[in-house]
Amino acid sequence: MTGDKALISKIQRYSTKDGPGLRTTVFFMGCSLRCNWCANPETLSAKPQVYYFKERCQHCGLCVQAGNGAISFDQVGCLIDRDHCQNLAEMVELCPFDAYETVGMWKSAEELAEILLKDQTFYESTGGGVTFSGGEAALQSAFVLHCAKLLKQHGIHICLDTAGYVSWEHLDALSDVVDLILYDIKAFDPLIHKRCTGYSNEKILDHFIRLVQKKVPMRVRMIVVPDQNDDVQDLKARIDFVAKHRDCVEQVDLLNYHIYGIGKYEKLGMIYPLADQRSAADDSLKWLLEYGEAKGLRMTIGG
Amino acid sequence: MYGLLSMEITNQDCDFTRIEAMRNRMYHRKATICAQRAEIITASFQKHEEDPIVIKRAKAFADILDQMDIYIEQDTLIAGNQASRNFAAPIFPEYSIDWIIEELDEFDKRSGDAFSIDEETKEKLRKIAPYWKGKTHQDEVLKNLSPINRLAEQQGVLHRGGISMSGDGHIIPNYEFVLANGFGGMREIAKQHLQNDQDLSEEQIAFYEASIITMDAALRYCKRFAKRAKEEANACGDVKRKSELLDMSQMFAHLMEGKAQSFYEAVETVYLVHLLMMIESNGHSFSFGRFDQYMWPYYEKDRANGMLSKEKALELITHFFIMTNSLNKVRPWDHTQYSGGYPLYSNLMVGGMKPDGSDGTNDLSYLCLEAMALTGLPEPNLSARFFAGSDHAFMKDVARLIRKGFGMPSIFCDEVCIPAMMSLGLKEEVAREYASMGCVETAIPGRWGHRATGMTYVNFGKIIELVMYNGYDPSTGIQLVKLNGEAGKAIHYQSYEEVFAAWETLLRYYTDLAIDCDLVCDRALKYHDADAFASSTVNCCLARGKTLKNGGAEYDYVSSSNIGPSVVGDSLAAIKKLVFEEKKLTLEQLQDAMLHNFAGLEGAKIRKLCKNAPKFGNDDDYVDQIVADVYESYLKLLPLYHTDRYGKGPIGCTYTMSTSNITSYVPNGFDVGATPDGRLATMPLNEGCSPCLSADKEGPTAVINSVSKLPNQKMAGGQLLNMRFTPGALAGEDNLEKFTCFMEAGRKKNIFHNQFNIVDSETLKKAKAHPEDYPDLMVRVAGYCALFSTLMPEAQDAIIARSEHDWR
Repeated sequence: MTGDKALISKIQRYSTKDGPGLRTTVFFMGCSLRCNWCANPETLSAKPQVYYFKERCQHCGLCVQAGNGAISFDQVGCLIDRDHCQNLAEMVELCPFDAYETVGMWKSAEELAEILLKDQTFYESTGGGVTFSGGEAALQSAFVLHCAKLLKQHGIHICLDTAGYVSWEHLDALSDVVDLILYDIKAFDPLIHKRCTGYSNEKILDHFIRLVQKKVPMRVRMIVVPDQNDDVQDLKARIDFVAKHRDCVEQVDLLNYHIYGIGKYEKLGMIYPLADQRSAADDSLKWLLEYGEAKGLRMTIGG
Repeated sequence: MYGLLSMEITNQDCDFTRIEAMRNRMYHRKATICAQRAEIITASFQKHEEDPIVIKRAKAFADILDQMDIYIEQDTLIAGNQASRNFAAPIFPEYSIDWIIEELDEFDKRSGDAFSIDEETKEKLRKIAPYWKGKTHQDEVLKNLSPINRLAEQQGVLHRGGISMSGDGHIIPNYEFVLANGFGGMREIAKQHLQNDQDLSEEQIAFYEASIITMDAALRYCKRFAKRAKEEANACGDVKRKSELLDMSQMFAHLMEGKAQSFYEAVETVYLVHLLMMIESNGHSFSFGRFDQYMWPYYEKDRANGMLSKEKALELITHFFIMTNSLNKVRPWDHTQYSGGYPLYSNLMVGGMKPDGSDGTNDLSYLCLEAMALTGLPEPNLSARFFAGSDHAFMKDVARLIRKGFGMPSIFCDEVCIPAMMSLGLKEEVAREYASMGCVETAIPGRWGHRATGMTYVNFGKIIELVMYNGYDPSTGIQLVKLNGEAGKAIHYQSYEEVFAAWETLLRYYTDLAIDCDLVCDRALKYHDADAFASSTVNCCLARGKTLKNGGAEYDYVSSSNIGPSVVGDSLAAIKKLVFEEKKLTLEQLQDAMLHNFAGLEGAKIRKLCKNAPKFGNDDDYVDQIVADVYESYLKLLPLYHTDRYGKGPIGCTYTMSTSNITSYVPNGFDVGATPDGRLATMPLNEGCSPCLSADKEGPTAVINSVSKLPNQKMAGGQLLNMRFTPGALAGEDNLEKFTCFMEAGRKKNIFHNQFNIVDSETLKKAKAHPEDYPDLMVRVAGYCALFSTLMPEAQDAIIARSEHDWR
């Protein structure tokens, strides 16, 4: 955050998978986890990023000239040595063919709220609203709180999409304001969690229980990635854990792994950790859905 | 893909297997040319040279109906044919024939809308051509068109549309009246006028006589089918079919002598009236109006008497829908580019409020949706009206049908359309009766004259290009207006306001010419399109003794069609922002870059600025307001013009605005060089009021919000918005509900009309490459649906380039 502005990668209107109804989802930049399968790698860092679309490049050479040796021609497009390129952000303006694009816009809570209110009619007609997501939106709790309060003056339904890996104070304050929390549980076993996301999950599970105790309405989101966090016992344990605290859980969304994020890694010059990852079969989560239903949970695949 | 939406079937009255077979035959229909009508009318005209035109045409109509081959399509319960074969286009030499002779050897080689034609047919047409030399409607139009109009056409600003060489069409008969009186009753009304009216003019006498001739002919045509059905019944071995044919024979024996006796008769009559109008003249957009409203009494009575099940009604409607696809029209190639996919634009409207403001949605509204779910063919062009009082269940079925991906129905919002109609001065209860005539052109059924929407197309994209060159056209070198008083392309605008004023100057200039062209066409059509049969079905014509083109109708409004308002708005926004506000560009730099189609590194830099300027469709007030200004500039202008019927009887006789521009945004783009919005030369303009291709980046709610800022409640000629969603976006009950609510939100957001394509880009690309694998892929083109495979490649590309909205 600079001043009272937050860095946002995308404001996605007409979202249908991030809570009830039609919603606008705000993707904050900066994340406290490093999931191997992350589909939004542009939101990991809390700094603006630059996408490079090599197929748009016309080999005009302007960026090669300006790049002080860090950018060179490739067969298609250019090769960028991001570690040594000091002025990559300047290429966005320089390139006549829009091969470079900035990801990340600074918005004040007021500016953001104004944009979010534009679709109020759609929220009202569909029982939707606004979802704060990321990255980890809860890392910027002061900003989110401020914006949420502005939206609440207009009666907007608000969701927070969080993985819970933030300090309790943040979550505690946010949960007082938002209407629904979309809570990610990525693994039950701490070791699996650490292997897949870089961090252990004691805090995440503890926060979940605390939110339940506060009677905060929640939807639990469980991503399942083949060979990463799809251990049968662990999946059952995740469901069992949620079922134990099901009073506040209105729904559990099982999310199938997809590889849509892969193109972003390439555009960001990042290495995709799951390069050889297989996608899951469409019906591979059916058993888990039934398992959850048997435990009395309202289950969906995909939300 | 095909199948019912929500209806539960409780008996065997509807034969679904048969419907499937009929539908499949219709999908694989082959467009051909039929010379029969042309030969008969030529002989008939030669025989009746001395008669007034309206009688001459009526006698020709009668000769055609008496002499043409008739047949009953396999399995069908609804009969009547327009030409000698299924999907054969009859020829109308009286309107124009030169292009037909010129294109005879090209019909089967077209890249879209091909027609196969045999040598014998070509020979027959060549043989009759000399008779028509100098006598056709087109000959008269060309004789009267001013040289300056031709220059404007050469520039590519104006395009002379269909009515310069064909009939007008664009009629919704008063079906309530026709069904209540029959052809016999209508004939009687004409006879009474002839007998009882004092001081009838020659024109009136001729009209009444002609009306009587056409009604007699229509009744004889019915009786030919009575005989034909009986013959087929006698030869039929299948018990069920034999009995159906016998029933048909009995029905046709007395059909339309008077009031329709049953729902079945009413359906058959509606189809026949439609068909007969399309034999009488070769316009298009002959539309069905509010089918669920005028058919209701017949349905209700038969249901109450236990004579009709819901399933049987469904079967009849389905057969009727299928049969409307047996009709065809051939247009010259340059017109075909404007309206690809063999369209007839036969709009059929369901739902919406009644004149008293209550909900008119009934069983038939639902059954029409179900019938379309079973057929999925391009005709009729199904539309649904809805308002705050519409049942959610109805909208849900609409969404279910849209989800099937046929592009139907398109939806009209009463809360926007009714005020738009009232902006013409119509009373609210009259305005509430509106229906679509063709694509999105709204009219009051049975009360409206021919509505020649967009028959002289005004290329807005070209005009904004000319603004940037002082009125000079760089591609032809023609300059009709010197905006700054001096010849040549130099521009010196000192402010954005001066640029906008230049836009308004040129708009006025070319609209004057467009209206002149309309008038030339209309005056010629008064003679050549003297259509006693069709005119008799519209309010006031029989009372006044006048054809529609002579001022017979109750109301007469024409909407001028324009192509590219979003291109204009985006271009003006770029000029305003880059040249006058941020001063990143000079006018000279921009003009130079446009002249070179943004070529070279400098051109690319300028194009980048232009492309990144605000674009309509992203809910950005800056540019949305400018696009709204563009609409207002035209709305301000149009009521100043009058149609040829002004002062001759109909109420109105002025112009209003429409964005119903069919596929013309593609060929119109061919004529337009690079534009200040960053669009490259020859690329398509925007479709209807939709954003420019791929300019909308913020998703469908932003598109709706942008369009909501336009003066939609003044667009009495219809406002066309077209959106594309991926199939996944509507998959599952939850998504369906969200989509239904999304349509509902659009209504609250001041959206006049919306239509949806539910198909992903991959499928479209594959279908373009392998049309043989996708014979039944139907897409919404622009206000109507067509089979994708029948479109020319450029139109296919434009549909692929439309922004695709997915769930995220």
